[in-house]
Amino acid sequence: MLEFRKVTKAYPNGPIALNDVTLSVSQGEFVFVVGQSGAGKTTLTKLLLREEKPTQGQIILNGRDITKMRAGEIPYLRRSIGVVFQDFRLMPNWTVEENVAFAMVVVEASPRLIHRRVAKVLELVGLARKAKQLPGKLSGGEQQRVALARAIANQPAFVIADEPTGNLDPETAWGIVKLLLEINAAGTTMLMVTHAKQIVDSLRKRVVALEGGCVVRDEERGVYHG
Amino acid sequence: MFTMVKPRTFGYFFQSAGSSLVRNSWMTLASIGTVAVALLVLGVFMLLAVNVGAMAAQVEEQVELTAYLADLNNQQRAQLEAELKAIPGVALVTFVSREEAWQRLLEWYGDDRGFLAGWEDDNPLREAFALRADSAFRVGEIAAAVARLRGVEEVIHGREIVEQLLAITRAVRLVGIGLMAGLALASTFIIANTIRITVFARRREISIMRYVGATAWFVRWPFIIEGLVLGLIGAVVASSVLAWGYYFAVRSLAAAIPFWPFVAPWPLLQRLALALLALGALIGVVGSGMSVRRYLDV
Ligand SMILES: Nc1ncnc2c1ncn2[C@@H]1O[C@H](COP(=O)(O)OP(=O)(O)OP(=O)(O)O)[C@@H](O)[C@H]1O
Ligand SMILES: [Mg+2]
Repeated sequence: MLEFRKVTKAYPNGPIALNDVTLSVSQGEFVFVVGQSGAGKTTLTKLLLREEKPTQGQIILNGRDITKMRAGEIPYLRRSIGVVFQDFRLMPNWTVEENVAFAMVVVEASPRLIHRRVAKVLELVGLARKAKQLPGKLSGGEQQRVALARAIANQPAFVIADEPTGNLDPETAWGIVKLLLEINAAGTTMLMVTHAKQIVDSLRKRVVALEGGCVVRDEERGVYHG
Repeated sequence: MFTMVKPRTFGYFFQSAGSSLVRNSWMTLASIGTVAVALLVLGVFMLLAVNVGAMAAQVEEQVELTAYLADLNNQQRAQLEAELKAIPGVALVTFVSREEAWQRLLEWYGDDRGFLAGWEDDNPLREAFALRADSAFRVGEIAAAVARLRGVEEVIHGREIVEQLLAITRAVRLVGIGLMAGLALASTFIIANTIRITVFARRREISIMRYVGATAWFVRWPFIIEGLVLGLIGAVVASSVLAWGYYFAVRSLAAAIPFWPFVAPWPLLQRLALALLALGALIGVVGSGMSVRRYLDV
């Protein structure tokens, strides 16, 4: 489903963030991406969303090389990928419901579908009762769940979560991970960037470790430290 | 490209544009004001040009010429009259003495004759023959023949006035268009600035839109609509002021200058309003387009 072929990314006047990365992820997989700060994890997700273009190599998603996409195709690429950002990226002056619905308004879903689907994903992340609240009134974990609800609102086949448990206490973090596992169990491919050793070690899912821009480890049923 | 947006999505666009307009109310008012002033100036000059043009058209219809005379004795005058009558195309020749000319002038000004007071005893007018051509087309050649006759000091006829009026019309149009071009440019930049501020205020929303897969046009539309609304409201304000002002001006001027053929407000004002609306829309769209291109790299 997803393939990185010898991908190198050097930022202009910056470090080589990714160095000759080859990686393949199949449909329905759950993959942890681990590595120290600056290892290139966020760069990986930026390349997937075409926020950045690789200096070299190809990235194949569903049989298409996204490095060769025209500007007009990028919105459609992004619709096929749900992203949860570490910093949530929610609109502070919109309600939870409006924040989630926005992802569907943007893709011009019908108002009826938006209404149904928003209620459903908020139910799924356990925020149905907070639909009318502003994000500022919610805890960090709840905001993270709003971001997750928005990421899955359009039912993408692929979800990327960049440190979705970053600032959360362990219990809340587990709540988020359980949600990701449920979504994955329903067939969605999941790529989770994380520093949470405890979570990685206890789940024993596939682990891809980056170091200085290189893939240094790629194990089925892996752990945080090799 | 435009077809990538579904019609129902425009509801969202208008709502989005509307909330920006309300939120930046000062910039909104400033933009509408400058657009209105620019279009108002254009409108005033266009109305002036139309009315001077109407006068030219009326004068063009006239078949009358006036031949002003040097000091002539009765015999010379009688001979000149005969020569005038012999010119082909001249239908009627009437002598106008200085006293008659004075009386005509008094009648012409009617109630406003006050400023003529003091001139009665020193009548500055010349005696003249009033001629009538049998067709407006022959006025020019008759004037030339009359001017060649001895005893004729000067020939005044419609053609010359028409030329002058048309020159004035052209000048008024040019000045109006020149002024308007400058003001339109200024209002385009004011709108561009307003939209720039909106883009800045919404940068967070825009970046989220991009992440969740909004197309470039989806992001642009609300800003284009915002500019369009600013331009159109400016045009509506300008048209309303012009319509009110024109009714008022024609009513009071028609009494003061009864001989001027003022153009009826309808359908003139309707056409002018349509032109101003189109121009306002253009200013709005170009202005927002400038900012959208520059500050919204989508
Ligand atoms: N836009 C950029 N311009 C220049 N250099 C950049 C840019 N973005 C990232 N980098 C550099 O590229 C390297 C990899 O960055 P990246 O954000 O991918 O790291 P990361 O693994 O996500 O780290 P963290 O765990 O801290 O989020 C870092 O050295 C970083 O400084
Ligand atoms: Mg990162």
